[in-house]
Amino acid sequence: MLVNQFLVLGAVLFSIGVYGVLARRNGVLVLMSIELILNAVNINLVALGALQGASGAVTGQVFALFVITIAAAEVGVGLAIVLLIYRNRASVDLDEVDLMKG
Amino acid sequence: METLFRSPSVDFHAFAPEIVLVLVLVVLLFVDLVFEERGRWATSTVAGIGLLASLVPVLTLAVAGGDRSLFDGAYVVDDFALVLKGLFLVAGYVTVLISTDYVAEGDYYEGEYYFLLLSSLLGMTVMASARDLISIFVALELLSIPAYLLAGWRKRDLRGNEASLKYYLLGVFASAVMLYGMSLVFGVTGSTVLSEIGDALAGGSSTVPVVTVGIVFVVVGFGFKVSAVPFHTWAPDTYQGAPTPITAFLSVASKAAGFVALLQLVFIAFLGQDDVWAPLFWVLAALTMTVGNLIALRQTNIVRLLAYSSVAQAGFMLAPLAVAASIPAERGGIANATEAVVTYLIIYAAMNLGAFAVVMAVARKTRSGEIGSYGGLFDYAPGLAVLMAVFLFALAGIPPLGGWYAKFVVFKSLLDAGTGAAVALAVVAAVNSVIALFYYASVARQMFMDPVPDGDTTRVQVPAALTASLALCAVATVAFGFFPNLAARLGDVALFGALP
Amino acid sequence: MAAQNLVFAVLAVVAVLAALRVVTTRNVVHAALYLVAVLGSVGALYVLLAAEFLAAVQVLIYIGAIVVLFLFGIMLTRPTLGRESGLDNDQRWLAGITGLFLFGVLSYVLVEAFGDERLPRLEGLDREALTAERGTGAVGDAIFSTYLVPFEVVSVLLLAALVGAIVLARRE
Repeated sequence: MLVNQFLVLGAVLFSIGVYGVLARRNGVLVLMSIELILNAVNINLVALGALQGASGAVTGQVFALFVITIAAAEVGVGLAIVLLIYRNRASVDLDEVDLMKG
Repeated sequence: METLFRSPSVDFHAFAPEIVLVLVLVVLLFVDLVFEERGRWATSTVAGIGLLASLVPVLTLAVAGGDRSLFDGAYVVDDFALVLKGLFLVAGYVTVLISTDYVAEGDYYEGEYYFLLLSSLLGMTVMASARDLISIFVALELLSIPAYLLAGWRKRDLRGNEASLKYYLLGVFASAVMLYGMSLVFGVTGSTVLSEIGDALAGGSSTVPVVTVGIVFVVVGFGFKVSAVPFHTWAPDTYQGAPTPITAFLSVASKAAGFVALLQLVFIAFLGQDDVWAPLFWVLAALTMTVGNLIALRQTNIVRLLAYSSVAQAGFMLAPLAVAASIPAERGGIANATEAVVTYLIIYAAMNLGAFAVVMAVARKTRSGEIGSYGGLFDYAPGLAVLMAVFLFALAGIPPLGGWYAKFVVFKSLLDAGTGAAVALAVVAAVNSVIALFYYASVARQMFMDPVPDGDTTRVQVPAALTASLALCAVATVAFGFFPNLAARLGDVALFGALP
Repeated sequence: MAAQNLVFAVLAVVAVLAALRVVTTRNVVHAALYLVAVLGSVGALYVLLAAEFLAAVQVLIYIGAIVVLFLFGIMLTRPTLGRESGLDNDQRWLAGITGLFLFGVLSYVLVEAFGDERLPRLEGLDREALTAERGTGAVGDAIFSTYLVPFEVVSVLLLAALVGAIVLARRE
């Protein structure tokens, strides 16, 4: 297998994820798009690690494990924030959450 | 299949500041659990004393001297790390001081507040030593995630919710983009340790496009953290909506942590790739200074003004990075730029925390963040008005207050580089220093010249902890101005152990 | 070899189509379910790359925990479950152009850098030696030796996220 099969798939997922972040206006859907990006990162890490021999393969996997762990923490925190906003405002629409115009 | 696990040998002295912080975190949780409502005041005391206690091992490490490199260079305790750990812990202590009464009076969750604040500080102290992509990523998340939560700590306030959500979504997105860049860098170099990445990248003379993309993504990810334009959009809204002590904390400590990571990545890992990052930082620095200042001119809310001013200040800190590679070796080279950024960070911490402390003291009476409410402050609170003027003029860079020396080291490293691009950036910086003077001075004029808007001239009650933080920041700001050697000495020793 | 490429092709197509649906569907619950398809395919790709432990973690943590969190979030914040309008903002075209541009740049630089480099073939090698040097045991050893600091830091991070999330999400 070519390493580029995996890398280009990662690039597709990354680009789709960026599209989702920019185009979605629902907080939960934006978060899902970010998960697509993180999966692209992990594919890259594992595929590129495998290219580097045994120690690289292990390093890539360990890095990917840390990414997954922290993604879980991020999603937990994110849903707490979304829930908080929903309770105060009954909406998670990002365009409505704009009292202070940046 | 039997594999032999070799347990790593750990130098516990090198980890002592972090270990003390973790112990304080545990004590905080127990104090909160055992004393419940009765002893809530105890949590801020524990947090403050704990931060001072974790400064002790930083000092003993400094006295013991020598660079300690652990885990094959992934975690390094050198002078750079120690100076910045000291900065983070002191800034954290001042944040606890300005939080004490604010949090106690606001009926917020006190124990958890200090727990998250110290967790974030732990992430920062780890960041100062992290010399490996995985450690940098994990430290970045540990310092950011509590900050996302603390930004929304005023739960019933819609602006607070919005502050938290914007900060969170942009932060998570930026760290995902940064990770994609890191994965490319790892793929090309085969290592996550910064010094090994530096060696691998220095080998190839021409720049490989994939490395360029990797570096750009990593820099963009941290550009968000240090609120560089055009990744600054979260900053004003988050600063305005977050509890004011957290705003002060974000604008000083969190920003400093972003710069620490950038310095480490750029000067250790990407050192040989300066034709990628030098123009990138040039554009970021020029844009950040100019846009930050121009928008700051239009602000009517003091916290938003300070937010945009802190965006502009970040531009000054980015400037030495833009020219670092062209500073000749006999003028210090990379070390010159590192020194400039670290010195700027230290002085900026003192003056910016001070300005926020005054904002909090004034808001105790006026309950307002509008600049108009500062009218006639000098009439009823001369002390606060003078202090505010000191901090604002320090931020503007007027001698003999601390800020002038911060600006001076930045201009010095720009002129030491001497290239056309560096001189052009120095001109941009000079013009921006003048623009900044306008909005800092307009607040001062408001305080000294204008009448009190509602005629209410009762005195402002400033609680003891807030007074202490004001005194600390004021002494530091003035001392750095009159004795620039103090800051210069810290900036001077704050060099990477691994640097040639 | 051909079998591996065939499996890769199927998984890649599933992942890409499902990912496109995640960012375009007008039903939030469907988005979460399409996300499961993406995550499952990516997990299977890890097996192709000889990263079995990571594949297990992908299923347990990503699909088992994170997607369930998403579904909880959706159910707690949606008055109705079903097709909705207004999930996208007006910048769709700009976002599409950005995405296509990024894909163009990334695929160009990746192909340029890694050309036709092949992943090392592991089939013919000694299975026990392979497991020892890059199996789950080796990953575990690395986490608890080389990457001990990030591991400890992550444990504090999870605790902090837990404490903070409870404070923010709990009812007054």
